Amino acid sequence: MTQTYSKDDPTLLVDSPAALIDSIQPFPPRSEREAEFYAVRDGEMLINLGPQHPSTHGVLRVVLKIEGEKIIDLDPVLGYLHRGVEKLCENADYHQAICYTDPLEYISSLFMELAPVMAFEKLLDLEAPRRAQYIRVLTCELNRVASHALFMGWLALDLGGLTPLLYAFVERDEIVEMLAAQTGQRMLFNYFRIGGVNGDLNHDFMSRLGDWMSRALKQVEANQRLLNENEIFLKRTKGLGVVDRDTALRLGMTGPSLRASGVPYDVRRAHPYLVYPELAFDVPTREEGDTYARYLIRLDEIKQSIHMIDQCLHKMPDGPVMAKIPRLIRPRPGRAFAAIESPRGQYACYAISDGTDQPFRMHLHDPSFVNLQAMGVVLPGNLIADTMAIMASLDPIMGGVDK
Amino acid sequence: MDARLARRLDARFSDRLLRPVTGRHDETEVRIAPSEVPEVMRTLHDDPEFGFTVLADLCGVDTGEVMQVVYHLWTEPAVTRDWLRVIVDGLDRDDPRCPSVTFLWKGAEWQERETYDMFGIVFEGNRDLRRIYMPPDYTSFPLRKDFYLADDAARGAGEGVRHMEQMATPAAATRSNTVRRAKIS
Repeated sequence: MTQTYSKDDPTLLVDSPAALIDSIQPFPPRSEREAEFYAVRDGEMLINLGPQHPSTHGVLRVVLKIEGEKIIDLDPVLGYLHRGVEKLCENADYHQAICYTDPLEYISSLFMELAPVMAFEKLLDLEAPRRAQYIRVLTCELNRVASHALFMGWLALDLGGLTPLLYAFVERDEIVEMLAAQTGQRMLFNYFRIGGVNGDLNHDFMSRLGDWMSRALKQVEANQRLLNENEIFLKRTKGLGVVDRDTALRLGMTGPSLRASGVPYDVRRAHPYLVYPELAFDVPTREEGDTYARYLIRLDEIKQSIHMIDQCLHKMPDGPVMAKIPRLIRPRPGRAFAAIESPRGQYACYAISDGTDQPFRMHLHDPSFVNLQAMGVVLPGNLIADTMAIMASLDPIMGGVDK
Repeated sequence: MDARLARRLDARFSDRLLRPVTGRHDETEVRIAPSEVPEVMRTLHDDPEFGFTVLADLCGVDTGEVMQVVYHLWTEPAVTRDWLRVIVDGLDRDDPRCPSVTFLWKGAEWQERETYDMFGIVFEGNRDLRRIYMPPDYTSFPLRKDFYLADDAARGAGEGVRHMEQMATPAAATRSNTVRRAKIS
């Protein structure tokens, strides 16, 4: 223990633990921005939101710089759920890589496997049979409804209302059980295969789906009435956390959050994949760009998804659900990029093959990761209590953010 | 590949491209040197002829020989059906440096931080370039090809098990013939 002069009496040599703590220098700032953020002026204060806070939807830590109740600046700290999924995929073969991507956004897992599967199919110059493509769209849209239903519940929960969450879970549970009947798993489905899907639609799934479809729209509308005209909900979401069109594009936001700012960018329409060109659907947009708009967009999307499921069921062709591919695949060297519209935005996979049975490089572009950045622009100036509403409206899933 | 887009790219950037415009499926690919990044990206973003306002993806690639930074762009509203892939080629593996594009897309900030964290590529002009996933005192760059997972030591016979966290800077990384090198460039 080193001896230092006491702070109370400079003539006295002491070796107290306090002296020891005083001697530890703060960690040197690693960037300009970090130095600026951690230089706290008079009247300002740093507090931690998370990593164990229920409204962070996972394990996210946000260091808030506050003045009274007002947020001045923030520094999100990521990485608590980092699994190194890209490294794992590089060390697995192509079939194994798909199941590593499942838990990224664990409430919309089907989308998470769809992008890598599509990228690998591009590397192989392979196209899935048409029935498999319809099944993919059908199950994905179901998954989207489940994900958006849960979003509504979470948003309400973060604003202090428990009831909508319970209804949301009723809705989601029906879909999840339905998909479990089809895929054998409730959350991490691992259903899509390179060249098709694992198993044709079965009777259990179809009867559950028919049952649900007969009342889906009515149920969705009933759930919406819980929140849409709720005075407290309106007061706490309208005009809050506004992102304008240009800012949203420069932030790289995608998905419902971008469409709520008036940009009609939807990968299903802009860059059609699978059988989306054959389906009729609208891309709902709104101009306000606030939390309420981001909520309403998702409601509209649920209706569009139900509409698409209906069309899929009517147009579904007969035929095989798997293309004939060898068990061990070695795509010829090349690069492929496949993007899809996940419930949170554009989710993409960039895969490079070097001719072996393992991807040479596989990058996953997650929409939550990019959308979450908007926090830094939107939150300053708002109250701490509104942080929850704004963050929930961006709908980040930390499994995807941290990869 | 979109032939019309390829022609326009070729006409505009012919002297800056490292290779002729290529493409496969619905992707058009151009290669530029790191020093051209700000100019080329600004033209692609601002020029009404192109209008690539959506940054669809930004990532790094370690080919085992050089480092690359890969951008995927998209126009809004759509003028082509293709993704535009811009590959910044030939970054030195020992000291990879690339100009930042945060002046065009603020959203590139975190993606560049991620690329720095995983590959050690320094983006000049990014105000917040620090690790994003790994802890602040971590010293390696996990997605580089000379970073082995523990199980992976068997790739090179007689190479032995390496400690996973090994290098303080890219330059200090162990040169080894067991690095998996790309058979593509």
